[in-house]
Amino acid sequence: MSSNCTSVAPVSASKTKTKKKHFIGQKVKLFRASEPILSVLMWGVNHTINELSNVPVPVMLMPDDFKAYSKIKVDNHLFNKENLPSRFKFKEYCPMVFRNLRERFCIDDQDYQNSLTRSAPLNSDSQGRFGNRFLSSYDHRFVIKTVSSEDIAEMHNILKKYHQFIVECHGSTLLPQFLGMYRLTVDGVETYLVVTRNVFSHRLTVHRKYDLKGSTVSREASDKEKAKELPTFKDNDFLNEGQKLQIGDDNKKYFLEKLKRDVEFLATLKIMDYSLLVGIHDVDRAEQEEMEVEAGGEEEEYENDGMGGALTGSFGTPPDSPGNPLNFGGFFSPGEFDSSVDVYAIKSNDSKRHSFLSFVNCMFLMCICLHFTLLSLPQAGAEISTVNPEQYSKRFFEFMSNILS
Amino acid sequence: MQSVGASSIAASIASKTKKKHFVAQKVKLFRASDPLLSVLMWGVNHSINELSHVQIPIMLMPDDFKAYSKIKVDNHLFNKENMPSHFKFKEYCPLVFRNLRERFGIDDQDFQNSLTRAAPLNSDAQGRTGARFHTTYDKHYVIKTITSEDVAEMHNILKKYHQFIVECHGNTLLPQFLGMYRLTVDGDETYMIVTRNIFSHRLPVYKKYDLKGSTVAREASDKEKAKELPTYKDNDFINDGQKICIDDDNKKMFLEKLRKDVEFLAQLKLMDYSLLVGIHDVERAEQEEVESEDNEGDDEGESDGGIGTPPDSPSNTLDSTKPLSPGEFDPTIDVYAIKSNDGAPRKEVYFMAVIDILQHYVPVKCRHAGAEISTVNPEQYSKRFYDFITTILS
Repeated sequence: MSSNCTSVAPVSASKTKTKKKHFIGQKVKLFRASEPILSVLMWGVNHTINELSNVPVPVMLMPDDFKAYSKIKVDNHLFNKENLPSRFKFKEYCPMVFRNLRERFCIDDQDYQNSLTRSAPLNSDSQGRFGNRFLSSYDHRFVIKTVSSEDIAEMHNILKKYHQFIVECHGSTLLPQFLGMYRLTVDGVETYLVVTRNVFSHRLTVHRKYDLKGSTVSREASDKEKAKELPTFKDNDFLNEGQKLQIGDDNKKYFLEKLKRDVEFLATLKIMDYSLLVGIHDVDRAEQEEMEVEAGGEEEEYENDGMGGALTGSFGTPPDSPGNPLNFGGFFSPGEFDSSVDVYAIKSNDSKRHSFLSFVNCMFLMCICLHFTLLSLPQAGAEISTVNPEQYSKRFFEFMSNILS
Repeated sequence: MQSVGASSIAASIASKTKKKHFVAQKVKLFRASDPLLSVLMWGVNHSINELSHVQIPIMLMPDDFKAYSKIKVDNHLFNKENMPSHFKFKEYCPLVFRNLRERFGIDDQDFQNSLTRAAPLNSDAQGRTGARFHTTYDKHYVIKTITSEDVAEMHNILKKYHQFIVECHGNTLLPQFLGMYRLTVDGDETYMIVTRNIFSHRLPVYKKYDLKGSTVAREASDKEKAKELPTYKDNDFINDGQKICIDDDNKKMFLEKLRKDVEFLAQLKLMDYSLLVGIHDVERAEQEEVESEDNEGDDEGESDGGIGTPPDSPSNTLDSTKPLSPGEFDPTIDVYAIKSNDGAPRKEVYFMAVIDILQHYVPVKCRHAGAEISTVNPEQYSKRFYDFITTILS
């Protein structure tokens, strides 16, 4: 059966049954987006990466680099009005530091630029705490989060130590990978953004999601939450299911080593209240969904004229974007992933099986989620935990060790 | 002397001839002796990049002639090595000048490269009122510092100028206006306009004249004559017995263009322009080339006397890759060049075009004391100008 690829002009003439992601590599970047702020983001990242390509990479970072910024203000008159606002400002914080961090996280600047500029970032449906706005790059490799100016200040406070930590652990960490920090001004309104690597895979759907803290107070998904398409379950939900995440001894050891280093680091910075974000991709289920999709013909909706199509149950598909060098041309078989891209993914170890609910033949995607507003002041409605950062980190670590096997 | 540091691409071409030393830079540092030049390089780089994201319209609209793009940069502890931390760059009518570049056969990438790969060089040429000149490192373009009044005048004439260029298919002796900018560094505003270089990027000019066809005070001062390449004027030309020896076909084509050009200028009530004449002596250049080879080891990497030299920049698409013999030129680059005819006493190449066209006619009673008094109007000026040039070409 040949699927009728009617929607958008497919670039790759090859491949038959599998659903193709339709993406046309744009030579001219128009920075077209549904909102001016997204256009400005695209323009800004494009500009700053270009600027950086003309600044030689220093041997090492200097203290000044952690206080630096680049600012640009654009004022056009009767020019270039089609996709961009006529007036806007773009500020990048500590450009050299983030360039260095991208390097340490093995992200090529060109790829980073492409991901954020070839096509508009998409709204993500997952919501962080306090309803912060999330976006993902069109290829789902990066997450763009709206933060407050206080968060920016806090980031500046921890940046040196964070960078040092990344140097010491050689980029091997479960902490968020901070890749860029910006301030956009459109229509006089300032928006602060932080770009991090996507925890979840850009290809593999997440079927179940947990936000774990190792705490006991109010750690259960509300009914409202459970009604969502992909609810964020919490500690008590997890425990009630009687689950373990089976990743095998080697993976567990390696994972816990990283985790230990990370939480100790967070404790020294007096940061707490973080979670372990766990996403589970069910290989069998995904395979099932893929077949259903094919049987139903091309009913997929393509967002944005087919640019950056929606990600649903489409593993084994040729990579997103033929032109994106991060994608190697080959197929991935079910459950396979490129560990240099999906850095958080761990395959399940299926030697032990518990109940029928256990996670077998899965990919686990886990990382530490720092909830912004790192100030440890109690917020109205926040879960009150009567521990200090040190205790928090210990309790957190204990809990995570126990859920892995 | 073979410069070891030069790009290996140039090395594959011709042996003894002195090579222009240029290493294709991947990273553009915008390094220059003057922050203003760094900002110019940065600005043109930015502007051409921006334009590459703007679709080329089918035709220009009236708004395009009033448009501008402005950018203000404010860096803090970042990128301080070659760039000032605070500067502004404004480009006037970007789409219009992009269209003009296209009509003049100039590719935007080449234009960008010429202005950004290496810093523009100071030129000792002086315009009226001592305006400052630079040429691009490859000598393809001239960058003139102008006044805000000039910028205003450009805006006044731009639509008609563009229309004229459309109608003559870019075939004109008028300045080829390619970009107009305002740079702000340290609070000071500098206006610049980029035009195609009238003289060759390769063949040096040994004698230069600024001709108007007027008779009053048209002689180079002693101070001027002391310069390395003085700008001689009408009386000098006549007294020197200088001749422009070109064959009839060239002469006809040249005067045809000139006639249309000065008619256009008269219509716009512009005057006080000049014909800039540059003369390249082929034998003399050959001689100098031989001398410089003998002096291998003294090489400064200057680009003078480089006849038959491989092109400046191996990767510049404008240049052909084969060496040119003495007195030869690529007419798509040296668009103003005309060879002397066979019967000429000396083998020469002439470069002739109109310059300084932005002076608007000011009636006598409005002029200030000390202004160069020419008691003619634009119409008369154009006739007198044309007649004079016709005479000197015979």
